[in-house]
Amino acid sequence: MIVIDAASPVPPFEQLRAQLARQIQDRTLAVGARLPTIRHLAADLNLAVNTVGRAYRELEEAGLIETRGRAGSFVSAAGEEARERVRRAAADYAAVVAGVGLDAAEAIRIVQAALTSRGTAPTSS
Amino acid sequence: MTREPLPDAGPPTRAADLRLAGEWLARHDLAGARPTPLLAGRLAVRRQARLAAHVILAVLIIASALASVAFLGPQPRRPLQLPALTVVVAGLLLAQLLLDRWVRRVDQRAGATLSRRAAHLIQPGWRAVLGLPYAVFTVATFAGAMALTGSALAVPDPAVRRPAVVLLIGLLGATAIFALQLRHLLRHPVVAEDEESLTADVIMRVEDARVLATPNVQWSLPMVLLFGTAPGWWSAASVAYLILGLVAFIALQTRTPSSATVARQAMSNR
Repeated sequence: MIVIDAASPVPPFEQLRAQLARQIQDRTLAVGARLPTIRHLAADLNLAVNTVGRAYRELEEAGLIETRGRAGSFVSAAGEEARERVRRAAADYAAVVAGVGLDAAEAIRIVQAALTSRGTAPTSS
Repeated sequence: MTREPLPDAGPPTRAADLRLAGEWLARHDLAGARPTPLLAGRLAVRRQARLAAHVILAVLIIASALASVAFLGPQPRRPLQLPALTVVVAGLLLAQLLLDRWVRRVDQRAGATLSRRAAHLIQPGWRAVLGLPYAVFTVATFAGAMALTGSALAVPDPAVRRPAVVLLIGLLGATAIFALQLRHLLRHPVVAEDEESLTADVIMRVEDARVLATPNVQWSLPMVLLFGTAPGWWSAASVAYLILGLVAFIALQTRTPSSATVARQAMSNR
């Protein structure tokens, strides 16, 4: 299930993108699952077609979904690849943190701030 | 659905709609949920649309019967009866389209008042909404009615063939109306703000699909137009078709899980 809250400070496209990404990452949406069409989901959630389109585009760029022409959008098998990319980026970040001599707590706060600004931070710290 | 309180006062129709919505929730094992104006409004428009859909089918049966009588009248060669019936069927299809659009518009207006909107990520398809047993029954009922029509068309007697042509037009019209309504049921946007109202939305669809699968025209039109006129074997076949269909329908109603159970199963798979 996807819930969009119009009163939230997080833009609707980001709410949608984050919820979809989370459900793909935690396997709630299985690899190969067909997502609703952009137009259909926009009608269900009372969003503009462009808003849903932008969320789908970002998920596609992140490798989480793939669009197969007129057949629609599907959860990509590249989900593990995306996870691996994040792991590699985290390792690079850890190397930079160690290089500049930043302490771990501050490094984590920086990551949390970056995630919060995108509306993807976990609720607990 | 649980957040909004039941208003104590309001226009009488709205209070009645809310009461009916409360009864509907209780009937579907959602007694813990409070009826909201959103649900009451959606159910009210569906009641009216369902009534209008029954009127459309009644008009189709009456128009077919009138066309058949005129077709068999003293001047059977009058060329206008069949085109007139075809126009009536097309008009009824249009009326059904407008009815579906009206329901959609009322839902859209109700949905626009919500600050939160919820939706499925995997849409419930026909297997979840109509279900395989109802789908098989519907296909078998239409196929049976078409087989009866085909066999009547094969009878050389013009007194049987002419109403059979009318029956064919009526059945094709009923099939098109069914297809339109089923398409509407499956593609109509969801209007929900949380899991409960999302479940209520699926229950509404399952209920509507089951009402839709009730074979009104398929059972009545062959009897109205051909029973007594057609040969004895045809009348026996049509009675057998009716009895078998009725037994299957009763079995479906008693053996298949309730719409609330089906909706919950559909939701748990999403």
